[in-house]
Amino acid sequence: MSEIRQIAIYGKGGIGKSTTTQNLTAGLVEHGKKVMVVGCDPKADSTRLLLGGLAQKTVLDTIREEGEDISLDRILKEGYGGTKCVESGGPEPGVGCAGRGIITSINMLENLGAYTDELDYVFYDVLGDVVCGGFAMPIREGKAKEIYIVASGEMMALYAANNISKGIQRYARTGGVRLGGIICNSRNVDREYDLLRAFSKELGTKLLYFVPRDNVVQHAEINKKTVIEYKPDSNQAQEYRNLAQAVIENEDFVIPTPMTQDRLEEILMEYGMMELADDYKI
Amino acid sequence: MAKLLDKQRYKCALGAMQTVQAIERALPILHSGPGCAQKLSESTGSSGYFSPNIFPCTSINEKDVVFGGVKKLDSTIENALKVIDADLYVVLTGCIPEIVGDDSGEVVSRYEGSKKPVIYAPTAGFKGNNYKGHEQVVNAIINQYLQKTEEKEEGLVNIWADVPYQDLFWLGNLRELEKLVGELGLKTNVIFGYKKGIKNIDAIPKAQYNILVSPWVGLTNVKKLEKKFGTPYLHYKTLPIGATETSKFLRAVAEFTKVDKEKTEAVIKKHEDYYYYLIERYADLFLENRVINKQFTVVADAQYTLAITKFLANDLGLIPAKQFITDDTPKNYREEIAAEFKNLNYDINAEVAFETDGFKIHEEIKNHDYHGYPLVLGGYYEKEITESLKGNYLNISWPVQNKVVFDSFYVGYSGGIRLIEDIYTVAVQRFN
Repeated sequence: MSEIRQIAIYGKGGIGKSTTTQNLTAGLVEHGKKVMVVGCDPKADSTRLLLGGLAQKTVLDTIREEGEDISLDRILKEGYGGTKCVESGGPEPGVGCAGRGIITSINMLENLGAYTDELDYVFYDVLGDVVCGGFAMPIREGKAKEIYIVASGEMMALYAANNISKGIQRYARTGGVRLGGIICNSRNVDREYDLLRAFSKELGTKLLYFVPRDNVVQHAEINKKTVIEYKPDSNQAQEYRNLAQAVIENEDFVIPTPMTQDRLEEILMEYGMMELADDYKI
Repeated sequence: MAKLLDKQRYKCALGAMQTVQAIERALPILHSGPGCAQKLSESTGSSGYFSPNIFPCTSINEKDVVFGGVKKLDSTIENALKVIDADLYVVLTGCIPEIVGDDSGEVVSRYEGSKKPVIYAPTAGFKGNNYKGHEQVVNAIINQYLQKTEEKEEGLVNIWADVPYQDLFWLGNLRELEKLVGELGLKTNVIFGYKKGIKNIDAIPKAQYNILVSPWVGLTNVKKLEKKFGTPYLHYKTLPIGATETSKFLRAVAEFTKVDKEKTEAVIKKHEDYYYYLIERYADLFLENRVINKQFTVVADAQYTLAITKFLANDLGLIPAKQFITDDTPKNYREEIAAEFKNLNYDINAEVAFETDGFKIHEEIKNHDYHGYPLVLGGYYEKEITESLKGNYLNISWPVQNKVVFDSFYVGYSGGIRLIEDIYTVAVQRFN
């Protein structure tokens, strides 16, 4: 059998990492792939759409209440299309070390044998800002070898994506981790597609897929479902299937070349601001 | 870039548990991993009313890192108060809770109204070594325990010196300093050692003066005391060993505390007479002995390197080779301390290096021409190198592996005589 493709999804907070990851997962499931999603965010909302709600007790809550001698089925739940769902969880805000929590959870998953041979994909949905070593855990020690950054045409999203690339570059020097591309979760910003392509090129990678904005995503979220489950015939469902296809077929994995702040702002000026002067509307 | 540090001579700040232990009936409560406590508690002569084996410790593990260790700290303090009869409880934090961000100060503040005082000193290892940790503990006492008072006791002086247990002669030194200063007619107060404790801590604000005998350790403490209680301090940098320095010390203390000159000179004369009587009696030993050559090196913390260098140069007429200070003295103090090494009798200058790396120190000792057998006073690490050079070696600073020290000391007139005895005991055994 082939090796499990372990993929980490990073990106600015609120950009839609969890939504994208779960919809992408649903797309992969339709392709007959076996997928595990590991939520690496103390908020523990990375598997909500696959499980039909926050039905999951987190790894860390379980450890806290029951100790470390637990069985896998206590922390791993089956969701949409047979996906395996795990939430690492974390301490209450303001106490403890969430980064160490991620490390503890992933180690526990390994020890309990969650990484079975039948899996094709494991996704790590990591919280917005990689603030310490703990949140880099999925790309350390050769766990996730592939990374996708979710971004949009908004300035802060690109700042974050560039910053995350610095982290990837650091770990790429010593390990096998590579950037597989940028996934745009569109915010309908001016010239977003061009901007994201230019940005990706500057990073030495490609714009893997451009997911357009569609309200059906919000409707599906309210219904605690992925778009593919909620409205399988919608355009957006097809977009996510296409994204899944792009991930399956992707073979371009690079060490990113993060840019300086000045260069990033140049690109933003070129694509983000050009139209502003003559296009000013209230 | 990180480098290898060979033979370091200090512990991390959490080693300040020994500072707490030196205060009778004071108890450290350790908020750290179990290994920290176990490693740092090792020291001969550290059993007593409390031995390190019973220090309460939160023994935090991975779970406490992830979720924070404050609950465990709270219950550890609560239960320590119930089962251990102490006068003062001092919470000391190690690296882990400080990195994770446990708000230990807040937990400790919950015990403000408790029957016995509970205070907190941040002593994470990354904050510095146990010299700094010692200062943190004393600062915690000043900040969190001592109350402002207008009451002053005529003639009462607090005496502060270097770090208990790190300095193996700490107890004897403090007792002798008290005795000497007491002879000037002053009433002394010390918080560490035999029959010292909470009552001595309570007396700190009432003192008219603080006397700090240390090149740098404790300076932040006496400054804090000055600010909080308006108590002026005398910073006497050299631990006085032998007649030259001890007489200087007594004169400085007398002048600072306005003790009558005649009285001071009478005390000095009494001691000096006996001191030089002994020196005279053994003059033949100094003159005829051919194995104590002229040059010596001291490898110790700032306190002992400065004190012994001055003593051997001023009182015994030996010539300093290069001297080494190994306590990682904070940079802002170094210039002043180095200047003290230029301040020797007979226009002698000593070269001094602030060096924490034992390998580098040993290379320099090896490559120096001592014009005969080197005399090396240092930690146990210097034994082998000195023997390989056929030198004379005395273990005077941490780590100590070849002697047991109950309450002997090198400070003062009789301390100086003890040091001469120890050095020449090594010398006369050479050809036995």
